[in-house]
Amino acid sequence: MGIVNEVKEALSAQSRTATLDELRSEGRRKVRLIRAEQVASMISEAVHAAAEQSGLISQAEVDKLVENSRREFKDILQQREREAQESKELKDQLQARDRELQQLRAQLQQQGGANAQANAAPGAQQAGPAGIDFAAALEKLTGSLNDRLEKLGKKMGVSAAVDAAELNFDGMFKDTGKTLESNMANIEIKKKEGGGIATNLAKLKKLKGGS
Amino acid sequence: MTDHQNPQKRAPVDAGADTTVALGKGLDIGTANLAAAVQNEDGGITVTVERNAFLDIPSDVYSKNMLTKLKVPYVVHNGKLVVIGEAAFELANVFSRETRRPMSDGLISPNEQDALPMIKLIINKILGEPRTPGENCHFCVPAPSLDVDNNVVYHQGLFESMINKMGYTAHAINEAHAVIFAELSECDFTGIGLSFGGGMANACIAYKSIPCLSFSVARGGDWIDKNVANVLGCPRSKATYIKERGIDIRDPKSREEEAVTIYYRSLISYVLQNIKARFESGQNMPTFQKPVDIACSGGTSLVGGFIEVFREEFAKIEFPIPVGRIFRSEEALTAVAKGCLVAAAIGES
Repeated sequence: MGIVNEVKEALSAQSRTATLDELRSEGRRKVRLIRAEQVASMISEAVHAAAEQSGLISQAEVDKLVENSRREFKDILQQREREAQESKELKDQLQARDRELQQLRAQLQQQGGANAQANAAPGAQQAGPAGIDFAAALEKLTGSLNDRLEKLGKKMGVSAAVDAAELNFDGMFKDTGKTLESNMANIEIKKKEGGGIATNLAKLKKLKGGS
Repeated sequence: MTDHQNPQKRAPVDAGADTTVALGKGLDIGTANLAAAVQNEDGGITVTVERNAFLDIPSDVYSKNMLTKLKVPYVVHNGKLVVIGEAAFELANVFSRETRRPMSDGLISPNEQDALPMIKLIINKILGEPRTPGENCHFCVPAPSLDVDNNVVYHQGLFESMINKMGYTAHAINEAHAVIFAELSECDFTGIGLSFGGGMANACIAYKSIPCLSFSVARGGDWIDKNVANVLGCPRSKATYIKERGIDIRDPKSREEEAVTIYYRSLISYVLQNIKARFESGQNMPTFQKPVDIACSGGTSLVGGFIEVFREEFAKIEFPIPVGRIFRSEEALTAVAKGCLVAAAIGES
Protein backbone atom coordinates (compact mmCIF):
# COMPACT_ATOMS: atom_id res chain seq x y z
CA MET A 1 0.00 0.00 0.00
CA GLY A 2 2.98 2.26 0.68
CA ILE A 3 4.03 2.51 -2.95
CA VAL A 4 0.47 3.44 -4.00
CA ASN A 5 0.46 6.37 -1.59
CA GLU A 6 3.88 7.44 -2.84
CA VAL A 7 2.70 7.33 -6.45
CA LYS A 8 -0.38 9.33 -5.45
CA GLU A 9 1.81 11.91 -3.78
CA ALA A 10 4.12 12.02 -6.80
CA LEU A 11 1.21 12.41 -9.19
CA SER A 12 -0.22 15.10 -7.00
CA ALA A 13 3.12 16.96 -6.73
CA GLN A 14 3.91 16.81 -10.41
CA SER A 15 0.47 17.32 -11.96
CA ARG A 16 -1.84 20.30 -12.21
CA THR A 17 -5.49 20.63 -11.34
CA ALA A 18 -7.85 21.88 -14.01
CA THR A 19 -11.61 22.33 -13.87
CA LEU A 20 -13.85 20.79 -16.49
CA ASP A 21 -14.57 24.27 -17.84
CA GLU A 22 -10.88 24.93 -18.24
CA LEU A 23 -10.39 21.64 -20.08
CA ARG A 24 -13.35 22.48 -22.29
CA SER A 25 -11.84 25.86 -23.05
CA GLU A 26 -8.65 24.08 -24.11
CA GLY A 27 -10.71 22.17 -26.63
CA ARG A 28 -10.84 18.85 -24.76
CA ARG A 29 -14.05 16.92 -24.84
CA LYS A 30 -12.93 13.64 -23.24
CA VAL A 31 -10.26 12.73 -20.73
CA ARG A 32 -8.76 9.31 -19.98
CA LEU A 33 -8.64 8.29 -16.31
CA ILE A 34 -6.20 5.96 -14.59
CA ARG A 35 -6.05 5.04 -10.92
CA ALA A 36 -2.85 5.62 -8.93
CA GLU A 37 -2.96 1.93 -7.88
CA GLN A 38 -2.73 0.89 -11.52
CA VAL A 39 0.23 3.21 -12.17
CA ALA A 40 1.99 1.84 -9.08
CA SER A 41 1.32 -1.70 -10.13
CA MET A 42 2.67 -1.05 -13.64
CA ILE A 43 5.87 0.51 -12.26
CA SER A 44 6.38 -2.34 -9.81
CA GLU A 45 5.81 -5.00 -12.48
CA ALA A 46 8.12 -3.26 -14.93
CA VAL A 47 10.93 -2.95 -12.40
CA HIS A 48 10.65 -6.59 -11.28
CA ALA A 49 10.34 -7.90 -14.84
CA ALA A 50 13.40 -5.92 -16.00
CA ALA A 51 15.46 -7.07 -13.03
CA GLU A 52 14.44 -10.73 -13.39
CA GLN A 53 14.88 -10.84 -17.15
CA SER A 54 18.38 -9.36 -16.87
CA GLY A 55 19.44 -12.49 -14.94
CA LEU A 56 22.33 -10.45 -13.55
CA ILE A 57 21.14 -10.11 -10.01
CA SER A 58 19.61 -12.40 -7.44
CA GLN A 59 16.10 -12.04 -5.97
CA ALA A 60 17.58 -10.74 -2.71
CA GLU A 61 19.48 -8.08 -4.57
CA VAL A 62 16.39 -7.25 -6.62
CA ASP A 63 14.47 -6.68 -3.37
CA LYS A 64 17.32 -4.57 -2.01
CA LEU A 65 17.38 -2.58 -5.23
CA VAL A 66 13.64 -2.03 -5.08
CA GLU A 67 13.92 -0.92 -1.46
CA ASN A 68 16.76 1.48 -2.30
CA SER A 69 14.83 2.84 -5.27
CA ARG A 70 11.78 3.41 -3.08
CA ARG A 71 13.85 5.23 -0.50
CA GLU A 72 15.46 7.40 -3.14
CA PHE A 73 12.09 8.02 -4.78
CA LYS A 74 10.69 9.13 -1.44
CA ASP A 75 13.63 11.50 -0.86
CA ILE A 76 13.22 13.06 -4.29
CA LEU A 77 9.49 13.32 -3.76
CA GLN A 78 9.93 15.11 -0.43
CA GLN A 79 12.42 17.47 -2.01
CA ARG A 80 10.02 18.27 -4.87
CA GLU A 81 7.23 18.87 -2.36
CA ARG A 82 9.41 21.26 -0.38
CA GLU A 83 10.35 23.10 -3.56
CA ALA A 84 6.71 23.27 -4.63
CA GLN A 85 5.76 24.67 -1.22
CA GLU A 86 8.54 27.28 -1.36
CA SER A 87 7.54 28.21 -4.87
CA LYS A 88 3.91 28.57 -3.79
CA GLU A 89 4.90 30.80 -0.86
CA LEU A 90 7.01 33.00 -3.10
CA LYS A 91 4.19 33.21 -5.62
CA ASP A 92 1.72 34.24 -2.87
CA GLN A 93 4.12 36.88 -1.60
CA LEU A 94 4.64 38.28 -5.06
CA GLN A 95 0.89 38.38 -5.64
CA ALA A 96 0.43 40.23 -2.34
CA ARG A 97 3.10 42.76 -3.38
CA ASP A 98 1.41 43.15 -6.76
CA ARG A 99 -1.90 43.88 -5.07
CA GLU A 100 -0.20 46.39 -2.76
CA LEU A 101 1.44 48.05 -5.73
CA GLN A 102 -1.86 48.33 -7.58
CA GLN A 103 -3.54 49.89 -4.54
CA LEU A 104 -0.75 52.41 -4.27
CA ARG A 105 -0.97 53.21 -7.97
CA ALA A 106 -4.70 53.84 -7.54
CA GLN A 107 -3.95 56.08 -4.54
CA LEU A 108 -1.34 57.90 -6.60
CA GLN A 109 -3.85 58.60 -9.35
CA GLN A 110 -6.41 59.85 -6.83
CA GLN A 111 -3.80 62.00 -5.12
CA GLY A 112 -2.64 63.35 -8.50
CA GLY A 113 -6.21 64.38 -9.33
CA ALA A 114 -6.71 66.00 -5.93
CA ASN A 115 -3.40 67.87 -6.22
CA ALA A 116 -4.30 69.12 -9.66
CA GLN A 117 -7.60 70.48 -8.27
CA ALA A 118 -5.83 72.01 -5.29
CA ASN A 119 -3.15 73.62 -7.49
CA ALA A 120 -5.84 75.05 -9.72
CA ALA A 121 -7.45 76.67 -6.66
CA PRO A 122 -6.00 80.04 -5.52
CA GLY A 123 -3.54 79.89 -2.55
CA ALA A 124 -2.86 76.22 -3.04
CA GLN A 125 -0.32 74.74 -0.67
CA GLN A 126 2.42 72.13 -1.21
CA ALA A 127 1.67 68.44 -0.57
CA GLY A 128 0.11 67.99 2.82
CA PRO A 129 0.20 65.10 5.31
CA ALA A 130 -1.48 62.74 2.84
CA GLY A 131 1.42 63.28 0.38
CA ILE A 132 3.99 62.49 3.09
CA ASP A 133 2.12 59.31 4.03
CA PHE A 134 2.10 58.24 0.45
CA ALA A 135 5.86 58.87 -0.03
CA ALA A 136 6.62 56.88 3.13
CA ALA A 137 4.44 54.01 1.96
CA LEU A 138 6.12 54.00 -1.44
CA GLU A 139 9.56 54.00 0.17
CA LYS A 140 8.52 51.13 2.43
CA LEU A 141 7.24 49.17 -0.52
CA THR A 142 10.43 49.79 -2.50
CA GLY A 143 12.52 48.66 0.46
CA SER A 144 10.41 45.57 0.89
CA LEU A 145 10.69 44.68 -2.80
CA ASN A 146 14.46 45.26 -2.73
CA ASP A 147 14.79 42.97 0.30
CA ARG A 148 12.72 40.36 -1.47
CA LEU A 149 14.83 40.61 -4.62
CA GLU A 150 18.05 40.42 -2.57
CA LYS A 151 16.79 37.27 -0.80
CA LEU A 152 15.80 35.70 -4.12
CA GLY A 153 19.15 36.71 -5.61
CA LYS A 154 21.06 35.11 -2.75
CA LYS A 155 19.05 31.94 -3.25
CA MET A 156 20.07 31.95 -6.90
CA GLY A 157 23.73 32.70 -6.05
CA VAL A 158 23.54 36.36 -7.12
CA SER A 159 24.05 39.22 -4.72
CA ALA A 160 23.79 42.97 -5.03
CA ALA A 161 26.84 43.29 -2.77
CA VAL A 162 29.97 44.64 -4.44
CA ASP A 163 33.51 43.64 -3.52
CA ALA A 164 35.33 46.05 -1.29
CA ALA A 165 38.73 47.38 -2.24
CA GLU A 166 41.57 44.91 -1.74
CA LEU A 167 42.91 44.93 1.80
CA ASN A 168 46.42 46.21 2.30
CA PHE A 169 48.38 44.72 5.15
CA ASP A 170 51.66 46.58 4.52
CA GLY A 171 51.25 48.42 7.82
CA MET A 172 51.62 45.14 9.71
CA PHE A 173 55.32 44.99 8.78
CA LYS A 174 56.39 48.40 10.10
CA ASP A 175 58.32 46.84 12.97
CA THR A 176 59.69 43.86 11.08
CA GLY A 177 61.90 45.80 8.68
CA LYS A 178 64.62 46.68 11.18
CA THR A 179 67.86 44.77 10.89
CA LEU A 180 68.20 42.16 13.59
CA GLU A 181 71.45 40.65 14.75
CA SER A 182 71.59 37.23 13.16
CA ASN A 183 73.92 34.61 11.72
CA MET A 184 71.37 33.48 9.12
CA ALA A 185 73.38 34.86 6.21
CA ASN A 186 76.14 32.34 6.97
CA ILE A 187 73.92 29.31 7.51
CA GLU A 188 72.97 27.01 4.67
CA ILE A 189 69.46 25.64 4.74
CA LYS A 190 68.88 22.10 3.50
CA LYS A 191 67.88 21.75 -0.11
CA LYS A 192 66.16 18.94 -1.96
CA GLU A 193 66.38 18.24 -5.65
CA GLY A 194 63.18 17.18 -7.34
CA GLY A 195 61.80 16.10 -10.70
CA GLY A 196 61.31 18.79 -13.32
CA ILE A 197 58.13 20.56 -14.25
CA ALA A 198 58.62 20.69 -18.04
CA THR A 199 55.92 18.06 -18.68
CA ASN A 200 53.46 19.85 -16.39
CA LEU A 201 54.10 23.17 -18.12
CA ALA A 202 53.80 21.67 -21.61
CA LYS A 203 50.46 20.00 -20.73
CA LEU A 204 49.12 23.13 -19.12
CA LYS A 205 50.06 25.22 -22.14
CA LYS A 206 48.34 22.68 -24.39
CA LEU A 207 45.20 22.82 -22.24
CA LYS A 208 45.22 26.58 -22.44
CA GLY A 209 45.43 26.35 -26.21
CA GLY A 210 49.07 27.37 -26.55
CA SER A 211 51.71 25.63 -28.65
CA MET B 1 49.77 47.12 -13.94
CA THR B 2 53.32 47.69 -12.77
CA ASP B 3 56.33 46.49 -14.67
CA HIS B 4 56.81 43.44 -12.48
CA GLN B 5 53.27 42.27 -12.99
CA ASN B 6 53.98 41.45 -16.61
CA PRO B 7 53.55 37.86 -17.72
CA GLN B 8 56.51 35.58 -17.26
CA LYS B 9 59.70 36.29 -19.10
CA ARG B 10 62.29 33.62 -19.70
CA ALA B 11 65.81 34.22 -18.57
CA PRO B 12 68.74 32.44 -20.17
CA VAL B 13 70.60 30.42 -17.62
CA ASP B 14 73.89 30.14 -19.26
CA ALA B 15 75.26 31.54 -22.46
CA GLY B 16 75.54 28.93 -25.15
CA ALA B 17 73.13 26.51 -23.50
CA ASP B 18 69.74 25.72 -25.01
CA THR B 19 68.06 25.39 -21.68
CA THR B 20 66.17 28.30 -20.27
CA VAL B 21 64.76 28.50 -16.80
CA ALA B 22 61.27 29.90 -16.45
CA LEU B 23 61.14 32.72 -13.96
CA GLY B 24 58.90 32.35 -11.00
CA LYS B 25 59.09 30.73 -7.60
CA GLY B 26 56.69 28.57 -5.64
CA LEU B 27 56.25 28.93 -1.90
CA ASP B 28 54.46 26.51 0.39
CA ILE B 29 53.52 28.34 3.60
CA GLY B 30 52.72 25.38 5.79
CA THR B 31 51.96 25.22 9.49
CA ALA B 32 54.81 22.79 10.09
CA ASN B 33 57.20 23.46 7.22
CA LEU B 34 58.00 26.25 4.80
CA ALA B 35 59.26 25.24 1.34
CA ALA B 36 60.36 27.31 -1.63
CA ALA B 37 60.74 25.77 -5.09
CA VAL B 38 62.66 27.08 -8.07
CA GLN B 39 63.67 25.56 -11.40
CA ASN B 40 67.34 24.67 -11.61
CA GLU B 41 69.69 24.63 -14.53
CA ASP B 42 69.52 20.84 -14.90
CA GLY B 43 65.84 20.90 -15.79
CA GLY B 44 64.79 19.77 -12.33
CA ILE B 45 63.67 21.79 -9.37
CA THR B 46 65.41 22.75 -6.15
CA VAL B 47 63.31 23.00 -3.03
CA THR B 48 64.54 24.70 0.12
CA VAL B 49 62.73 23.46 3.19
CA GLU B 50 62.77 24.83 6.73
CA ARG B 51 60.68 23.95 9.73
CA ASN B 52 58.22 26.71 10.64
CA ALA B 53 59.16 26.98 14.30
CA PHE B 54 61.42 28.88 16.66
CA LEU B 55 62.62 28.70 20.24
CA ASP B 56 63.96 31.44 22.46
CA ILE B 57 66.87 30.81 24.81
CA PRO B 58 68.79 33.17 27.11
CA SER B 59 71.18 35.34 25.13
CA ASP B 60 74.90 35.30 25.93
CA VAL B 61 78.11 35.45 23.93
CA TYR B 62 78.99 31.81 24.59
CA SER B 63 75.62 30.57 23.23
CA LYS B 64 75.92 32.74 20.13
CA ASN B 65 79.38 31.42 19.33
CA MET B 66 78.33 27.86 19.97
CA LEU B 67 75.26 28.15 17.75
CA THR B 68 77.32 29.61 14.91
CA LYS B 69 79.90 26.80 15.27
CA LEU B 70 77.08 24.24 15.17
CA LYS B 71 75.62 26.02 12.09
CA VAL B 72 72.39 26.70 13.93
CA PRO B 73 70.55 29.78 12.66
CA TYR B 74 69.61 32.34 15.30
CA VAL B 75 68.42 35.90 15.56
CA VAL B 76 68.53 38.28 18.51
CA HIS B 77 65.04 39.61 19.09
CA ASN B 78 63.85 41.68 22.04
CA GLY B 79 67.02 40.78 23.96
CA LYS B 80 66.52 37.05 23.49
CA LEU B 81 68.38 34.57 21.35
CA VAL B 82 65.88 32.98 19.02
CA VAL B 83 66.82 29.72 17.34
CA ILE B 84 65.00 29.22 14.08
CA GLY B 85 63.80 26.27 12.04
CA GLU B 86 64.74 22.60 12.37
CA ALA B 87 67.33 23.39 15.05
CA ALA B 88 64.60 24.90 17.25
CA PHE B 89 62.70 21.65 17.01
CA GLU B 90 65.75 19.59 17.92
CA LEU B 91 66.66 21.85 20.85
CA ALA B 92 63.09 21.75 22.13
CA ASN B 93 63.29 17.96 22.22
CA VAL B 94 66.60 18.02 24.06
CA PHE B 95 65.31 20.44 26.72
CA SER B 96 61.76 18.96 26.83
CA ARG B 97 60.26 22.26 25.81
CA GLU B 98 57.63 23.22 23.26
CA THR B 99 58.68 25.07 20.14
CA ARG B 100 56.96 28.36 19.39
CA ARG B 101 55.01 28.24 16.17
CA PRO B 102 54.22 31.21 13.91
CA MET B 103 51.21 29.37 12.51
CA SER B 104 48.46 27.21 13.87
CA ASP B 105 45.64 25.35 12.10
CA GLY B 106 46.98 26.35 8.71
CA LEU B 107 46.88 30.10 9.35
CA ILE B 108 49.09 32.76 10.91
CA SER B 109 48.77 32.36 14.66
CA PRO B 110 46.96 35.18 16.47
CA ASN B 111 48.42 33.96 19.78
CA GLU B 112 52.08 34.26 18.84
CA GLN B 113 53.20 37.87 19.05
CA ASP B 114 56.59 37.22 17.45
CA ALA B 115 55.05 35.23 14.58
CA LEU B 116 55.46 37.88 11.89
CA PRO B 117 59.14 38.81 12.26
CA MET B 118 60.15 35.15 12.65
CA ILE B 119 58.21 33.79 9.69
CA LYS B 120 59.40 36.72 7.59
CA LEU B 121 63.01 35.82 8.39
CA ILE B 122 62.50 32.17 7.44
CA ILE B 123 60.66 33.01 4.21
CA ASN B 124 63.35 35.54 3.29
CA LYS B 125 65.99 32.89 3.83
CA ILE B 126 64.36 30.11 1.80
CA LEU B 127 63.01 32.30 -1.00
CA GLY B 128 66.12 34.40 -1.53
CA GLU B 129 66.21 37.53 -3.64
CA PRO B 130 64.04 37.78 -6.76
CA ARG B 131 66.08 37.13 -9.92
CA THR B 132 64.32 40.00 -11.63
CA PRO B 133 62.32 42.82 -10.02
CA GLY B 134 58.76 41.69 -9.44
CA GLU B 135 59.41 38.02 -10.24
CA ASN B 136 56.23 35.97 -9.84
CA CYS B 137 55.92 34.11 -6.56
CA HIS B 138 52.91 31.85 -6.12
CA PHE B 139 52.25 30.98 -2.51
CA CYS B 140 49.68 28.55 -1.20
CA VAL B 141 46.71 29.41 0.99
CA PRO B 142 44.29 27.00 2.59
CA ALA B 143 40.67 26.83 1.53
CA PRO B 144 38.00 27.89 4.05
CA SER B 145 37.39 25.16 6.59
CA LEU B 146 34.28 23.06 6.93
CA ASP B 147 34.73 22.53 10.65
CA VAL B 148 36.06 25.83 12.05
CA ASP B 149 35.44 29.48 11.34
CA ASN B 150 38.78 30.80 10.09
CA ASN B 151 39.95 34.01 8.46
CA VAL B 152 41.70 33.06 5.25
CA VAL B 153 41.36 36.61 3.87
CA TYR B 154 43.62 38.06 6.58
CA HIS B 155 46.15 35.25 6.19
CA GLN B 156 46.29 35.63 2.42
CA GLY B 157 46.50 39.44 2.51
CA LEU B 158 49.26 39.33 5.09
CA PHE B 159 51.52 37.04 3.07
CA GLU B 160 50.72 38.85 -0.15
CA SER B 161 52.00 42.07 1.46
CA MET B 162 55.02 40.30 2.95
CA ILE B 163 56.11 38.70 -0.34
CA ASN B 164 55.47 41.87 -2.35
CA LYS B 165 57.67 43.75 0.12
CA MET B 166 60.47 41.27 -0.61
CA GLY B 167 60.42 42.43 -4.24
CA TYR B 168 58.25 39.70 -5.74
CA THR B 169 54.80 39.85 -7.27
CA ALA B 170 52.77 37.62 -4.98
CA HIS B 171 49.88 35.48 -6.15
CA ALA B 172 47.86 33.17 -3.92
CA ILE B 173 46.91 29.68 -5.04
CA ASN B 174 44.80 27.13 -3.22
CA GLU B 175 47.00 24.52 -1.52
CA ALA B 176 45.26 21.42 -2.86
CA HIS B 177 44.98 22.99 -6.33
CA ALA B 178 48.78 23.25 -6.26
CA VAL B 179 48.89 19.49 -5.60
CA ILE B 180 46.85 18.95 -8.77
CA PHE B 181 49.31 21.11 -10.75
CA ALA B 182 52.21 19.07 -9.38
CA GLU B 183 50.79 15.54 -9.50
CA LEU B 184 47.97 15.15 -12.00
CA SER B 185 49.53 16.22 -15.30
CA GLU B 186 49.01 12.69 -16.66
CA CYS B 187 45.25 13.07 -16.25
CA ASP B 188 45.13 16.54 -17.80
CA PHE B 189 44.95 18.01 -14.30
CA THR B 190 41.59 16.37 -13.66
CA GLY B 191 41.10 14.69 -10.30
CA ILE B 192 41.33 15.20 -6.58
CA GLY B 193 44.33 16.74 -4.86
CA LEU B 194 44.74 16.30 -1.13
CA SER B 195 47.30 18.00 1.04
CA PHE B 196 47.75 16.58 4.53
CA GLY B 197 49.63 19.35 6.30
CA GLY B 198 50.54 20.12 9.87
CA GLY B 199 47.53 22.26 10.66
CA MET B 200 44.95 21.25 8.09
CA ALA B 201 43.97 18.83 5.40
CA ASN B 202 43.06 20.58 2.14
CA ALA B 203 41.06 19.09 -0.70
CA CYS B 204 40.46 20.28 -4.24
CA ILE B 205 38.68 18.68 -7.16
CA ALA B 206 39.56 20.02 -10.56
CA TYR B 207 38.47 19.45 -14.12
CA LYS B 208 41.19 20.13 -16.70
CA SER B 209 43.10 22.29 -14.22
CA ILE B 210 40.05 24.37 -13.27
CA PRO B 211 39.17 23.99 -9.57
CA CYS B 212 35.51 23.03 -9.14
CA LEU B 213 35.44 22.66 -5.41
CA SER B 214 37.94 23.21 -2.64
CA PHE B 215 37.72 23.15 1.13
CA SER B 216 39.72 22.20 4.18
CA VAL B 217 39.28 20.58 7.56
CA ALA B 218 41.22 21.93 10.52
CA ARG B 219 42.92 18.67 11.42
CA GLY B 220 46.40 17.63 10.43
CA GLY B 221 49.67 16.44 11.88
CA ASP B 222 49.41 18.86 14.83
CA TRP B 223 46.06 17.37 15.76
CA ILE B 224 47.70 13.93 15.89
CA ASP B 225 50.60 15.31 17.96
CA LYS B 226 48.26 17.06 20.40
CA ASN B 227 46.20 13.94 21.01
CA VAL B 228 49.19 11.61 21.19
CA ALA B 229 50.86 14.00 23.68
CA ASN B 230 47.66 14.04 25.75
CA VAL B 231 47.36 10.28 25.99
CA LEU B 232 51.08 9.69 26.57
CA GLY B 233 51.57 12.68 28.86
CA CYS B 234 54.54 14.10 26.97
CA PRO B 235 55.31 17.42 25.18
CA ARG B 236 53.93 17.80 21.68
CA SER B 237 57.40 18.03 20.15
CA LYS B 238 58.08 14.56 21.59
CA ALA B 239 54.91 13.28 19.94
CA THR B 240 56.06 14.86 16.66
CA TYR B 241 59.42 13.12 17.06
CA ILE B 242 57.74 9.72 17.61
CA LYS B 243 55.60 10.30 14.54
CA GLU B 244 58.51 11.33 12.35
CA ARG B 245 61.15 8.80 13.42
CA GLY B 246 60.10 6.35 10.71
CA ILE B 247 57.18 4.33 12.02
CA ASP B 248 54.76 2.28 9.94
CA ILE B 249 51.14 2.88 10.91
CA ARG B 250 50.15 -0.56 9.65
CA ASP B 251 52.46 -2.19 12.16
CA PRO B 252 52.89 -0.23 15.41
CA LYS B 253 55.73 -1.59 17.56
CA SER B 254 55.06 0.10 20.91
CA ARG B 255 52.37 1.79 22.98
CA GLU B 256 53.57 5.16 21.66
CA GLU B 257 53.37 4.02 18.05
CA GLU B 258 49.97 2.49 18.73
CA ALA B 259 48.72 5.92 19.86
CA VAL B 260 50.09 7.54 16.70
CA THR B 261 48.46 4.85 14.56
CA ILE B 262 45.05 5.31 16.20
CA TYR B 263 45.02 9.04 15.60
CA TYR B 264 46.38 8.71 12.07
CA ARG B 265 43.57 6.35 11.13
CA SER B 266 41.06 8.67 12.77
CA LEU B 267 42.43 11.67 10.86
CA ILE B 268 42.29 9.87 7.50
CA SER B 269 38.77 8.64 8.18
CA TYR B 270 37.65 12.14 9.25
CA VAL B 271 39.07 13.73 6.11
CA LEU B 272 37.49 11.11 3.85
CA GLN B 273 34.08 11.38 5.53
CA ASN B 274 34.15 15.14 5.12
CA ILE B 275 35.18 14.93 1.47
CA LYS B 276 32.39 12.44 0.86
CA ALA B 277 29.80 14.59 2.62
CA ARG B 278 30.91 17.71 0.76
CA PHE B 279 30.86 15.96 -2.61
CA GLU B 280 27.47 14.45 -1.86
CA SER B 281 25.99 17.83 -1.12
CA GLY B 282 26.37 18.18 -4.87
CA GLN B 283 26.80 21.93 -5.20
CA ASN B 284 29.01 22.99 -8.15
CA MET B 285 30.06 19.41 -8.76
CA PRO B 286 31.07 18.35 -12.26
CA THR B 287 30.09 14.97 -13.66
CA PHE B 288 33.04 12.77 -14.46
CA GLN B 289 32.73 10.24 -17.28
CA LYS B 290 35.88 8.38 -16.25
CA PRO B 291 37.21 7.50 -12.78
CA VAL B 292 39.39 10.26 -11.37
CA ASP B 293 42.69 9.86 -9.53
CA ILE B 294 43.34 10.97 -5.96
CA ALA B 295 46.79 12.39 -5.23
CA CYS B 296 47.82 12.68 -1.59
CA SER B 297 50.67 14.87 -0.46
CA GLY B 298 51.92 16.90 2.49
CA GLY B 299 54.29 16.18 5.36
CA THR B 300 51.64 14.30 7.34
CA SER B 301 51.32 11.77 4.51
CA LEU B 302 55.02 10.84 4.78
CA VAL B 303 54.51 8.30 7.56
CA GLY B 304 55.04 4.66 6.59
CA GLY B 305 51.85 2.86 5.52
CA PHE B 306 49.90 6.09 5.01
CA ILE B 307 48.59 5.37 1.54
CA GLU B 308 47.70 1.76 2.42
CA VAL B 309 45.68 2.90 5.43
CA PHE B 310 44.13 5.64 3.28
CA ARG B 311 43.01 2.99 0.77
CA GLU B 312 41.63 0.81 3.58
CA GLU B 313 39.60 3.69 4.99
CA PHE B 314 38.51 4.69 1.49
CA ALA B 315 37.20 1.18 0.87
CA LYS B 316 34.95 1.52 3.93
CA ILE B 317 32.94 4.39 2.51
CA GLU B 318 30.77 4.64 -0.56
CA PHE B 319 32.52 7.44 -2.37
CA PRO B 320 30.09 9.43 -4.50
CA ILE B 321 32.27 9.67 -7.61
CA PRO B 322 34.19 6.98 -9.48
CA VAL B 323 37.83 6.88 -8.40
CA GLY B 324 40.80 5.39 -10.28
CA ARG B 325 44.28 5.50 -8.77
CA ILE B 326 44.92 6.56 -5.20
CA PHE B 327 48.55 7.43 -4.73
CA ARG B 328 50.94 9.45 -2.62
CA SER B 329 53.19 11.95 -4.30
CA GLU B 330 56.78 10.76 -4.66
CA GLU B 331 57.88 14.07 -3.16
CA ALA B 332 55.05 14.48 -0.68
CA LEU B 333 56.72 17.15 1.46
CA THR B 334 57.49 19.40 -1.50
CA ALA B 335 54.58 18.70 -3.85
CA VAL B 336 52.68 21.86 -2.86
CA ALA B 337 55.76 24.05 -3.44
CA LYS B 338 56.27 22.32 -6.79
CA GLY B 339 52.64 22.97 -7.77
CA CYS B 340 53.03 26.63 -6.78
CA LEU B 341 56.13 26.77 -8.97
CA VAL B 342 54.21 25.31 -11.93
CA ALA B 343 51.56 28.00 -11.47
CA ALA B 344 54.22 30.71 -11.19
CA ALA B 345 56.10 29.52 -14.27
CA ILE B 346 52.97 29.40 -16.39
CA GLY B 347 51.79 32.72 -15.00
CA GLU B 348 48.63 31.22 -13.54
CA SER B 349 46.74 33.62 -11.30
